[in-house]
Amino acid sequence: MSQRKRPHNAPSSQSKGARNSMVLLADEDDDVSYTQPSTSQVQKGLDRLTPAQVDLKTAEVVQFIFVKDQKKIPIRRADIVKHVVKEYRNIYPEILKRTSRTFETVFGLSLKEIDSKNHVYILVNKLDPPDGELLSMTPSNPKTGLLFVILGIIFMKGGVVKESMVWNTLKKLRVDPGEKHVDFGDVKKVVIEEFVKQRYLEHVRVPHTEPLEFEFRWGQRADIEVSKVKLLEFMGQLHDQDPQSWSQQYREATTPQASTAPSGPVSQR
Amino acid sequence: MRRASRGVGDDQGTARQNGVSAGRGGRGMEGDDDEVLCTAVDMQDDDNDPTRRREIRSKYRDLINSVQQNREDMLSPTNNKLTDVLEEANKLFAEVRQAREAALDAQLLVLATDLGKEKASQLHAEGSSFDPSAFAENLLSFMGLNRLEDEGEMSGGYLPQDAWQKVGNRAQCCFRTAPTFHYMLGSFLAEPPPPRQRIARQRNAPSKEAKRIMPTQLKKMEESHQEATEKEVERILGYLRSYFADDPNSPISYYEFVIDPFSFSRSVENIFHTSFLVRDGLARIYLDEHKLPCIAPIEEGEVEAGGGSTRQQCVISISPKTWKEIIEVFDITEPLIQASATQVDAGTVDPEPQHTD
Amino acid sequence: MARPLGEVHKRFLQTMMAKGIIDGDKAKALLRHCCETHGAPINDHLDEFIEVINAQLQPMFMQIRKGMSEEDGLQYYALVNMAETDVTRMSSDYADNELELFRKKKTMDLIVDSDTGTASSTDILNCADSLQTKKLKKKETEHVLNRLVQDEWLKEKQGEYSLSTRCIMEMEPYIRRFYQDQVKLCHICHNVVLQCQMCENPTCGIKIHVPCVARYFKGRTDPRCPACEDFWPHEIPEVNRPSSQSQSAAKEGRAPKSQSTAQTSKTRRS
Repeated sequence: MSQRKRPHNAPSSQSKGARNSMVLLADEDDDVSYTQPSTSQVQKGLDRLTPAQVDLKTAEVVQFIFVKDQKKIPIRRADIVKHVVKEYRNIYPEILKRTSRTFETVFGLSLKEIDSKNHVYILVNKLDPPDGELLSMTPSNPKTGLLFVILGIIFMKGGVVKESMVWNTLKKLRVDPGEKHVDFGDVKKVVIEEFVKQRYLEHVRVPHTEPLEFEFRWGQRADIEVSKVKLLEFMGQLHDQDPQSWSQQYREATTPQASTAPSGPVSQR
Repeated sequence: MRRASRGVGDDQGTARQNGVSAGRGGRGMEGDDDEVLCTAVDMQDDDNDPTRRREIRSKYRDLINSVQQNREDMLSPTNNKLTDVLEEANKLFAEVRQAREAALDAQLLVLATDLGKEKASQLHAEGSSFDPSAFAENLLSFMGLNRLEDEGEMSGGYLPQDAWQKVGNRAQCCFRTAPTFHYMLGSFLAEPPPPRQRIARQRNAPSKEAKRIMPTQLKKMEESHQEATEKEVERILGYLRSYFADDPNSPISYYEFVIDPFSFSRSVENIFHTSFLVRDGLARIYLDEHKLPCIAPIEEGEVEAGGGSTRQQCVISISPKTWKEIIEVFDITEPLIQASATQVDAGTVDPEPQHTD
Repeated sequence: MARPLGEVHKRFLQTMMAKGIIDGDKAKALLRHCCETHGAPINDHLDEFIEVINAQLQPMFMQIRKGMSEEDGLQYYALVNMAETDVTRMSSDYADNELELFRKKKTMDLIVDSDTGTASSTDILNCADSLQTKKLKKKETEHVLNRLVQDEWLKEKQGEYSLSTRCIMEMEPYIRRFYQDQVKLCHICHNVVLQCQMCENPTCGIKIHVPCVARYFKGRTDPRCPACEDFWPHEIPEVNRPSSQSQSAAKEGRAPKSQSTAQTSKTRRS
């Protein structure tokens, strides 16, 4: 991504103030220009705009998020501000609130913050996944199958597995990381780059290993999007086994999570 | 199992330089010395046969390798592969006579112990254990694997084409993924824009001349701001020429041309870039009968003729306030110069400039 | 603002997002399934139902649009974008050079400029050499064309490419605006016409969609051009009924090129 700045910034609303909180994020320097405005600042900003202007800006943010979601890459607040909100940055909280409401009331989607420090969002479905006749009308992607396999192994193995275990299992499923696959193309790239970028997976080095070893965990998107109960049900079907017989996994799937639970739908940030 | 008495065996193995060949499992430890010695002497040659020893070492290495490669398989509670390996090693060990081979045996043993420990811990874990190999096998059946051979070897059988689609379909219910929105209209810039009704310019096919002089060589925006400015100036010239070509007889209002009613900053940019057109003798600004500024392109031939002497660049100041006033007075509802993709912002998303035909 | 959307509406809209385009029969079935899934009474008023959704989509410049396919003459519903802004141009489905291949002086132009509403793969591959943004190799060009077909922006039939129903439905305003000198309207339904039959009278040369031909000339023994009364020299296809399975009836009689003065003599823009 280019770090080039526009020659002229919008003349208005380059608010100065406490930027200390942002200084830590060295690689997020383009977020520096954004400072969370106070409620009264927002109100003042709104007073200066017509409702139509605010609606139009909101629609643009909705479009922007849809565009970014085409590839399921999480969306950074910094990018929303930089590319769309621009001179409306003083009312950004209000615009995000309306955007979030639009996703919920019109599309049945929910805009969730997966990283409250860097302000990163993803779109999640609020409707239950389709079943029955509806399922047959909804196209699905072979990559969903691949994701299921990997996330399934990780979950069943207690949350973290060695990379080699994933590749060994995939090899048995005729998916060889060294070969081009009909459905997935460069599988290694799909798993280690695409799924990681989309935050379905975390791929981290195991410390003090020689040669290098990596392990996989669930990413934040998987935590929010994937139903462990449903996953376990599918596992049970495959193994012809009662899902409850995996008692540890079953307990984890059925206890509401408190720890990693990301913040709910965007409201006020 | 063999390994119960292993400690002793190892000692024997390493201590065997002097020809103790009593074999394993305690047999012969108590045997009478004569017999032992006798055997040792008899087997002297055999023990040192380099070919045989190399063969044994190679078999050990293969075994170690296969344990390392098939770790997950070995761990699987559904098979006895670990036991098989150990039995294999037992057979090999029966022929081990020298320290080097014995060391390999020890190495294999360490590996096997680790695996055994892990396998045992799986059995002790609460509830059923999860075995990736069994998972893969079951999934292959779910995918509709056509098993050709009964040998049970991994590579056997063919998967139907829709194997992964099938898994995807079934797994879909585990995911609360938002559907994505795709479109074609609006994914690229339509240029040049149709002229506005308001100025009542008849849209004609541009003349050959206009086509020829329109900028065509715009490449990736990886250049400096100066180059970016040049490109932008060229782009704006394209607009000016195409509007002019549409109807050479009606003057183009300068303000209508440069003011973008939606963006003050873009208006400023347009004014800035247009000033280069005048400076470089590519356009001229003149006053019409109402003393309002108009702009027209200077044709290539004219550039020379006009000479540079009379050209001057002047600076116009504009504030958001005057900008608004101009929009009102001239009733400007749409920009004549479409924002270029590079003006979207720092070029992260759409780094390619647009092309005029 | 308009009525708030229930789960049935949202489900319908989400499925439209995922599919892009569906035919009228499927749309009705989809609405039924949506109602069943959410335990709502079955709703038969598809168009009214869609109107409710559209009222909510309008601020986002999106719309579920109804249109006819040039190919089979059936009704289709497509979810379209109507905005052309800096934001919509950030779409990442296709790279800039791939979009260029699709539009300017390239595939779209070839298709719109042709009398038949199609362009051959050879012609498209040839023009790929002159891309300004970034050259595409032959293999890459083929790959892009395949993707465009897969994503339902183009249709391919024996090496001939045409604009898909989804593409025409979304791009119609653009086509009218950008190709106003070249593009014709169907003499029967007055929509943009690309794939068609054309009157062979050189002073007439009107175009009619193949399915419109079928409907218009149905049962007539002596088909004559509705504009000039000349004999209509093309094969008259059979009318394609919505729920009928056979689409073979809609065979195309390609308009001969010889006398298309009205089109070819015009200076072609861009």
